[in-house]
Amino acid sequence: MKIHLLVLLSLWVVASLIAGCATPPAAAPAAQPTAAPAKPCTITFGAAVSLTGATAKEGEYVKNGYNMFIEDINKEGGFKVGSQKCTLVLKIYDDESNADTSAKLIEKLVTEDKVNLLLGPYGTGPVFSASAIAEKYDVPMVEPGGAGMKIFTRGFKNVWGTLPAAPNYLNSAVDMIMAKDPSAKNVALFIENDSFSQEVADGITAYLKQKGLNLVYSEQYPKGTKDVSSLATAAKAKNPDIVLGASHLADAELVVKQAKDIGLNAKAWAFSVGPSTAEFGTALGKDATYILGVTPWTPAMKFQGQDIYGTPQKFADAFKAKYGYVPSYHSASAVATMIAFQKAIEAAGSIEPKAVREQLNKLDVPTFYGQLKFSPEGIIVKPMGVVQWFDDGNMYTIWPKEVAEKDFIYPAPAWDKR
Amino acid sequence: MTILLGQSLVNAILLSGMLALVALGFSIVWGVLKIINLAHGAFIMLGAYVTFTLFNLYHVDPFLTIPISMLALFLLGYLIQAYVINWVIRAPLLVTFLLTFGLDIILINLALFVWKGDVRAVGPAYAGTGLTLFRDPLTSQGIQVPYVRLAAFVISLVLAGLLYLFMSYTKLGRAIQATGQDKDAAQLTGVRVAPTYALTFAIGAALAGAAGSLISVMQPFDPNMGGGYRLRAFIIVVLGGLGSIPGVILGSVLFALVDVLVGISPLAPLKDGVAFAMLVLVLIVRPTGIAGKAFY
Repeated sequence: MKIHLLVLLSLWVVASLIAGCATPPAAAPAAQPTAAPAKPCTITFGAAVSLTGATAKEGEYVKNGYNMFIEDINKEGGFKVGSQKCTLVLKIYDDESNADTSAKLIEKLVTEDKVNLLLGPYGTGPVFSASAIAEKYDVPMVEPGGAGMKIFTRGFKNVWGTLPAAPNYLNSAVDMIMAKDPSAKNVALFIENDSFSQEVADGITAYLKQKGLNLVYSEQYPKGTKDVSSLATAAKAKNPDIVLGASHLADAELVVKQAKDIGLNAKAWAFSVGPSTAEFGTALGKDATYILGVTPWTPAMKFQGQDIYGTPQKFADAFKAKYGYVPSYHSASAVATMIAFQKAIEAAGSIEPKAVREQLNKLDVPTFYGQLKFSPEGIIVKPMGVVQWFDDGNMYTIWPKEVAEKDFIYPAPAWDKR
Repeated sequence: MTILLGQSLVNAILLSGMLALVALGFSIVWGVLKIINLAHGAFIMLGAYVTFTLFNLYHVDPFLTIPISMLALFLLGYLIQAYVINWVIRAPLLVTFLLTFGLDIILINLALFVWKGDVRAVGPAYAGTGLTLFRDPLTSQGIQVPYVRLAAFVISLVLAGLLYLFMSYTKLGRAIQATGQDKDAAQLTGVRVAPTYALTFAIGAALAGAAGSLISVMQPFDPNMGGGYRLRAFIIVVLGGLGSIPGVILGSVLFALVDVLVGISPLAPLKDGVAFAMLVLVLIVRPTGIAGKAFY
């Protein structure tokens, strides 16, 4: 019996090894992803999104955005390409939150599935590697989930991103705090050791200096860390007015939880990624109150767009009706990538990569997501909004002032005074 | 400065208790069954989700869920050992390695399916409250001892103590030890090896479940949380020496001290690197671990 099992096990190992090798990178770039649209015209989009693994949640938000837009636009006949309407098809795989898998799947989408155009994965890491494959095969990719500048500084012609650049993530939060209290000078910064968070940290460090604030404490913690209480202890000794985090969701929650344990207090708390998702409030409950998050988009923002949704509120309502929850910026950003393609394809009258590329570079249209316009590197030009968690367990948009739902509550009381 | 050091020391002591519990189950399974259980992290994760589910749905106090998650993991561990791992227990190390690695992936993905990838936290009303030991009159800052961590520390020690008593003074415990020393000799003296293995594995899983329940109150977690703890368990077991309960505790204290002290130093970003350097150093200087003896 034992030998039997061993044989089976080794067969399985061999089989999976063979399966793993079955999709080798094609030897030469096959420049044929743009088969001329056949009679019942369809445009096939390909995407690899994290449906499992560390960023499974964000991946799901992105996937839901893609699917909803495709369904809604197909109801209207699809994209207008020249004189005809083309319906959209999406081929989507799970990249397991893994950058290497993402690249492999993009290769498969281009060479085997022969998709016409590419949508991006979630996360700077996967986008970084996936976009290299898009560049190799010369297929345009507009991505909703990678904000790291390193994606855009390689001189690629085929990648555009709809999230604002990582180095600017925390700027608007700092602007807002300074506008409220010019005497808040001392800042503590917690930095996740991750390529995106590093860029956020470098960006905000330079910005703080430029604005004349003092960075009294700045320290990195390893990605996926389980304990930051020693960092919180060291930061507490510096008595910061403002605590900033260059983080993702899980570590932002960890910093807040352990800051409370240790009694690290500050008048304002802001994190790059984390507080702007609903889960942050669910997980932390009352402790989320007063915390600031930055986000490129909320349903409360007032944009007037020339797209099928028109305004953030209308998009949010449609999304909620379909999926049962209020969309986060991840889903909005995903839809924005497809609107970027729509506008570019309609302007080009073709889905030829060269023509689409030209139009994407020229793009400048108002949408429910805000103005869609890319910098020469390919990253969206867009300021961040700021949200704050309130006592009632909800987060509200509080910045920019023109679209604020509520006033910024400041200062946050000490943990033991709440 | 005194506050900073004092707080760090308190942090380290409290952390070491929790880490000891994380590593104990891993250590006895490795010591007795001679398998490195790569699914240990997934067991911890399941323990955390048992607590999360009971707390969220039925508002059971997280500390009261510990026996439940221990029992659940005990049963799961027993079944997994008796019906899955036992088939390959005498096979080379690589086979059990592959098998437990596969189990780890299956359990994580099942958890993703059941609980989704959301980051969860268990926040009873008393979370974040604590004692202030010493208050500096100038800055009014003090050394905080969070109640939750203190309770977790005490529970860890109690469980470690119970395990020690069980292993040393009961017939079953001694059968486990004997099997670990020499399974053929144990068999000759009348120990039934297969159920003993299953029992040991189940105890290891139950301890992981308890650790998971405690961790869920202290940290946000998701189905992928286990990997980091598996790694810590590995380092601690090697540091302290395989198969000794006091060794595990010593290893945890050392690991926690280094972790916390590096955390407040400028080396903070290299925390994990320093832990590994320590591991390599111990392996070079004293391959049996600090308190290890050629026991198992």
